[in-house]
Amino acid sequence: MLTLRTTNRVLKVLKTAQKCEQSFHRWLAPTLRELKRRKDIQGPEKPVHRKTFLEWNYDTEIYAFSKRLGEEFNNDLLQQALTERSYIIREEERQKNVGIEQPTLNLSDNKELVSKGSDFIDDIVKRYLRTVLPRLPEEGIIGIHKYLTSIETLSHVSFHIGTSELILCAEFPVEKPTLSNVLKSIIAALIESSGDSRAALFVRDFIITQIADKDLHQFWEPEEPIKLLSEILARDGIQSPEPRLIGCSGKNTILACFRVGLYTPDNKRMIGLGFGETVDIAHEMAARDSLRQLFGTLDNILLPFNLKLDQLCASSVKNLFLNEWSQKTLPFRPTHFELRQAKEISSN
Amino acid sequence: MSQLGRVKQWNTFARCWHLFDAAWQNPLECSPTIEKYLKGLNKPIYHPLVDCGDHVVVINSKQIAFPGEEWRRRAYFHHTGYSGGATWTPAWELHDRDPTMIFRKAVYHHMKGNLFRRVVMERLHIFSDSNVPEEVMENITNQIPPLRSIPKTLSSYSKEEIEKYPKIIDYPEDFILSKN
Amino acid sequence: MVFTTAIMMVRSRGPDEFWRKRKIFKIAAHFSGRRRNCYSIAIKAVHRALQFATIGRTVRKTDMIDLWNTRIKAGCEEHGVEINNFKDSLSRCDIQLNKKVLADLAIWEPNSFKALSDLAKSVAIDYNLPGTEKYDKPSNVITRGLLKK
Repeated sequence: MLTLRTTNRVLKVLKTAQKCEQSFHRWLAPTLRELKRRKDIQGPEKPVHRKTFLEWNYDTEIYAFSKRLGEEFNNDLLQQALTERSYIIREEERQKNVGIEQPTLNLSDNKELVSKGSDFIDDIVKRYLRTVLPRLPEEGIIGIHKYLTSIETLSHVSFHIGTSELILCAEFPVEKPTLSNVLKSIIAALIESSGDSRAALFVRDFIITQIADKDLHQFWEPEEPIKLLSEILARDGIQSPEPRLIGCSGKNTILACFRVGLYTPDNKRMIGLGFGETVDIAHEMAARDSLRQLFGTLDNILLPFNLKLDQLCASSVKNLFLNEWSQKTLPFRPTHFELRQAKEISSN
Repeated sequence: MSQLGRVKQWNTFARCWHLFDAAWQNPLECSPTIEKYLKGLNKPIYHPLVDCGDHVVVINSKQIAFPGEEWRRRAYFHHTGYSGGATWTPAWELHDRDPTMIFRKAVYHHMKGNLFRRVVMERLHIFSDSNVPEEVMENITNQIPPLRSIPKTLSSYSKEEIEKYPKIIDYPEDFILSKN
Repeated sequence: MVFTTAIMMVRSRGPDEFWRKRKIFKIAAHFSGRRRNCYSIAIKAVHRALQFATIGRTVRKTDMIDLWNTRIKAGCEEHGVEINNFKDSLSRCDIQLNKKVLADLAIWEPNSFKALSDLAKSVAIDYNLPGTEKYDKPSNVITRGLLKK
């Protein structure tokens, strides 16, 4: 015991002795301050491309990129997908300036891949939306599709899967249209490397999930909801709904709140509930609420993000347009619950 | 924020207006209940830093009741700030001067003193009788039940009711109830 | 890039005045006036603030418990249950939801909270807990006592 204690003590002394060696120098803080001052005078640093770093290895990075995504890519195709036309033009000019008469670059640009990928994304996104939202009018599908395939959304996805440093293009930093084009061409490359179903899963996981946890009606808001609702109900043979004031508080104050319910005249059933600072707003919100119920887009729905390509409806199938929408003529599509059940049965 | 989110928020934080009849009620007993509605303690969304309280309209504050000797014994202290400026006013005198003051002070002193107290008190509207302006009355959507039942006074009984009331004895005819 | 600051801050007890004071100034960065700029004043303010922080760590817990209790009480009141009966009945049913979860349910899941309060009411009536005379038996709850009858 005694020996143990003494060894401990000796060790402690040794440790402190070690610490003492790493003492701070009086010159350190002033030097750092001076360095900081000089740096500040020079202004903010310009962004530098990663390829200017010494240990940059483009081939390795591309290999790692495909492995990060967990997909099997044809290496040449992936290389082609990441090459922009502007890069090839610039390289050729550079070679001409050096004095090479006929510049040869073993690179092809991603123009074809972009158009192919773009078509594929359009197709899958629309089919997916039509499958999971069979009651939503076609206008709504178009609205959500427009959001999902916009340059903003695609470039956001593309940037965050890490393409921005791998893209070969003339401009730096990479602009948003380029980023979105590259995402499209990567998907086209994936189609040719691993097949449609794998690419569809990629689109589902990276693009369609962008609408998760968002209010679907922020992409498409029906105009004149009260008029629209009565038209839709008229097609089903229901008289136009009757609004009733079912609650109000602080009527004469600026913080007044009204609740309006919409009732069907024949069976006195409530089909929508809205609230707002005036009766008109509350009435409009009630109409919007009942439209949401009809279209199956209530703000608390959970969209299934686990469907595969063979479970989606065909590309030729379309949802009903607003001017013909009625509950009687709704297309019959299996809901996602049935799809999930079917999957469980087949796996058993 | 989407349109739906906006109106949802509006609906969640809507202010209710409550009516409270102070006739025959002890203000010191009522103040916890009034405070609950003023601060929004009756809502599950309550948070001390969130402005989620309701309005309370108190009527008939002239008819409040105090137990025992309270009207005579209870003194309200005021100091003008100058030397010798302290005054102690008995409750009955204060009530004569301003019939809403005792109720207001009871609620005010019941609440914990912080920067929110005066803001919360702004939502308390006290009227000495039941003549409430029409625009205030239209706001009201709820009534707080009285804490004590209101006793029926002898003067409110009609003559027939008094005659019908079961008697234990009959006074002799020459018995004098009062001098006049 | 090597960030030396963090390492310096950890061991800043040493002879270098700059790093020693920097640790204090960093804590006092959000104070106002000379309390953030003058070391001799800042160190007093920092010591005081750290004492408050120590106390605050326990006070925060009680504050949160008070807030949850208030919220659960408000939720119970909406559905006409006494909070004592509510708690008692839930523990008798072996529903082990803590105050935080119950308060969250009262705000975000009013329907679930109503179901809980209905359950609490009928259990309170079954066990004949004090103060249950004023409850109406909810028709949507079936308890073991009902099955026996």
